[in-house]
Amino acid sequence: MTTRLTPLALSVVTLAAWGLVLGVFSGRPELVVAVAPLLLGLLRRARANPVRDWRISHSLSVDRAVEGERVVVTVTVNAEQPVPLLELFEPLPPSLRVVAGSNRGVFTLVRGQEVQWRYEVECGRRGRVSLGTVRARLWDRAGLYAGETSLHAPGQLRVYPRPIPLRRLPRPRRTQASVGNYVSSSVGEGLEPGDIREFVPGDRIRHVNWRASLRFRRLFVTQYHQERNADVILMLDTLVEVGAPPETTLDASIQAAASLAGAYLARKDRVGLIEYGGPFRWVRPGSGRAQYERLLEALLRADVVFSYVRANVALVPRRVLPAQALVIAISPLLDAHFEKAVVDLAARGFDLVILSPSPIPLVQRSTRSSPSVDLACRLWALERRARAAALHRLGLTILEWDPREPLEATLAGFTRSRHRSVAG
Amino acid sequence: MWLPAALPVVVLVGYPLLVAPTRAVLVIGVAAMVLCALGIAVHSTPVVVAGGVLALGEYALALWLSTGPPRLTGAVLFGIGLLLLLETTDFARRLRHAAIGPGVVASQVRYWVVFVTLAGTAAFVLIGIATVASLIARPPWAPAFAAAGAAVALVAVAIALRRARG
Repeated sequence: MTTRLTPLALSVVTLAAWGLVLGVFSGRPELVVAVAPLLLGLLRRARANPVRDWRISHSLSVDRAVEGERVVVTVTVNAEQPVPLLELFEPLPPSLRVVAGSNRGVFTLVRGQEVQWRYEVECGRRGRVSLGTVRARLWDRAGLYAGETSLHAPGQLRVYPRPIPLRRLPRPRRTQASVGNYVSSSVGEGLEPGDIREFVPGDRIRHVNWRASLRFRRLFVTQYHQERNADVILMLDTLVEVGAPPETTLDASIQAAASLAGAYLARKDRVGLIEYGGPFRWVRPGSGRAQYERLLEALLRADVVFSYVRANVALVPRRVLPAQALVIAISPLLDAHFEKAVVDLAARGFDLVILSPSPIPLVQRSTRSSPSVDLACRLWALERRARAAALHRLGLTILEWDPREPLEATLAGFTRSRHRSVAG
Repeated sequence: MWLPAALPVVVLVGYPLLVAPTRAVLVIGVAAMVLCALGIAVHSTPVVVAGGVLALGEYALALWLSTGPPRLTGAVLFGIGLLLLLETTDFARRLRHAAIGPGVVASQVRYWVVFVTLAGTAAFVLIGIATVASLIARPPWAPAFAAAGAAVALVAVAIALRRARG
């Protein structure tokens, strides 16, 4: 424990010295007598020495939360010896905001007493948050002397991006062999009735269409459309981000990725993730709850990281992408490397959709409005439109998404236009 | 938490006016009160110290203007008030925006009551000893002795604090 005199001790010494000087120069004993309590106060402090005879434990109400959720932090202090005045302060990362209570507490404890201190934080931004480093300052009663120490009680909080419920999603052009929610044009096992044909040996009795059989006096069976699933790869651009946290293009992209992953997994599709940036990482496609957890974990650590490899990353390796997968590239389209990669994917025949969270409203929000800023934003919007048109001419579909607007609205318009061209 | 700090201000500014109710003392007293009130309001110990310095100046002026025997009881109360002003202001500053545990304020108030009692008693005992000593022996160069004694007291306090810190 580091001990030190506080500024209050210096203040008391200053006043005592000033009183003595005035006393000597005025020749009045009262001023010297008036200073006596100050000197006694300082001497009282000189005999004491702070000793650390207390322990703390730290706990969180949950160790996993989503953005916007609240978490209760509980710090328990146990004293083995009387503690005159203990000040505890837990520094919080910028992504957490205190909403109830305070992350600084002052306590007085008697021997053997246990005190619980609670406060509530709101998780503002996704990420892994390390909590549990508590700065402690042990004051003497007069406040003239303080001992400081830092305690580490491990506590990690994982804040996941908040998924938005999506009802309409881009439909994949091609489906896989596994069972899913997409009604295929080919017939086989399924729930959706398709065609009726004459009975042939080997057909199952439960497929016999009795109404048609009675009418034509021959046995007919009902054929069903197969129900397939699809492979969906979310390709996240982590090369660059703009905007002020927690409202950057990457934050918007990650929220969109989490929402799309949840929605596709709910439809029994297999979903994978490619983090296209400095650390080129990917999660192989899979389905189910465990896969969703894996994707969220990957999204948790997704960040723009400088890397010397970045300049050389151009194309997505073949083994990362399953054949006939729907690739949804989520990017603000600010880096030419990413554009080159998506053009390459389209050229390789992948079903590709680009979801582009527009950086312009995010930059406008974080910048003070002025005529020059507005003009720059308008020019930027024109440039983005021209680039989107150029990509459209290459056969790419771009969904421009204003992150201030619901993602559902952007996707809804898209699904209507693509719905006609979906083939089973 | 402003009330425990405001009470000593009243004592510090009001007592010198009882000693010498003059315009000059009043003006300095008002200035001291304004500074102390400002320091309490903004939770700034340095501003309160500035107010304390002015209050001591006001007290010195009042004593200089007044005649009559030394009023040592009032001087002890003034000193205790000065110390309490500093401690209460600093205590309020430490508790600002903090979650306060059970019994923190009550135990601190108990401590101040005990301290005021002990400090007052000790000061009166010291005054008694000094009075008796001055009756027994009247050394020449008394002011020089007083100045040297004051300097020794400050140095002793500084050494004691330094030792406690080490």
